[in-house]
Amino acid sequence: GDGGDGPAPAAAPGRAQVFSTVVDTFLEKLVTAGSYQRFANCYRCFYKLQPQLTRSIYDQFISQLQASIKEEIEEVKNEGNLEELFNSLDKIVEEAKDREEPAWRPSGIPEQDVRSALVPYLRKHRAHLRRALRHKEERNGRVAESVLMGRDSIAELQQLIQARQQAWQ
Amino acid sequence: MSVDPMAYETQFFGFTPQTCMLRIYIAFQDYLFETMLVVEGVILKKLDDIPGCKISSSQIRKCTEKFLLFMKEHFDKLFAKMEEVLLQLVLNIPKNVLLPEDRVQEQYPCSKEEFQALQDELQQLRQQYRAEVALEQALLVELEEQKIVKAELEKTLQCFDELDNICREHGAGNFKESFAFLTQSCKKLQDVLKDVEEKSKKVKQHDQLM
Repeated sequence: GDGGDGPAPAAAPGRAQVFSTVVDTFLEKLVTAGSYQRFANCYRCFYKLQPQLTRSIYDQFISQLQASIKEEIEEVKNEGNLEELFNSLDKIVEEAKDREEPAWRPSGIPEQDVRSALVPYLRKHRAHLRRALRHKEERNGRVAESVLMGRDSIAELQQLIQARQQAWQ
Repeated sequence: MSVDPMAYETQFFGFTPQTCMLRIYIAFQDYLFETMLVVEGVILKKLDDIPGCKISSSQIRKCTEKFLLFMKEHFDKLFAKMEEVLLQLVLNIPKNVLLPEDRVQEQYPCSKEEFQALQDELQQLRQQYRAEVALEQALLVELEEQKIVKAELEKTLQCFDELDNICREHGAGNFKESFAFLTQSCKKLQDVLKDVEEKSKKVKQHDQLM
């Protein structure tokens, strides 16, 4: 049998492809329903008079209808930038294919939904504040030591002066 | 069965899928009607060109209506099928899919309480920081004051040193003692003076009484 890998199975059609196909199918079936026989049958009186003209009018009707419909679809695709959005969505869906649990959906309550968006910023802010506070505390510790030492040396000086004063009494 | 608002899809596409389908439906329907009108118009015109024609325009109108009715029926059925497929397969986001812009929701899930706790913590940190800044100011102010006081005290000490030097230079080793003795004597003299004053006051008073 086949030892190596065969060619990869054809990927499922993307959304853009499905969209085109579905619209084409719609048109096809519509045209089939609105067949020439049906048309001629409805306009029998005219058909009897001018069969060839009936045919040509019908052909024009069909081609005009198809053209208008296709043009409308193009316009909708361009306005909504659908081609790009479809491809992008296909990618996003593909990336999530191994995931089974339902994903998060907006709750409809902005205050609730915005929390998760803010959390990373708040955490950064907290880390920054913690750092700054720690630095201040360390620095203040050192300055406090200098102040205490200063008080000691002033007390010393005061004692010395008192001693000298005594000596002159 | 409640209507699915397809809000998440609307977030992604920028329009509501159902609205999009409705727009397309109306447009297609308009084209069908317009094209039929054109057909009718062409037929009527051609009939005018045929001399002695017995077909009335109201007959043609009836033909058009017949065909249109038929077309509309099929059109609606086919469109409904197309809409269903598009809404389910194309214009939809599967339940397990999270849009990239919403990734934070799953990275940083956060309850109301957790969020409040985080904000409270930040508030507290800010207060602590302000307190440390105030402490820093107070400490620096005291350091400055200490400098000044120290300088004054050292000056005073220096004065005493200079006095000692003068004593030493003039060989008055006992100067201190003499000075101390003088200070004592002055005090004694002051006391004696006070005594004398008091006594003389008494004598005066006595004299006045006499």
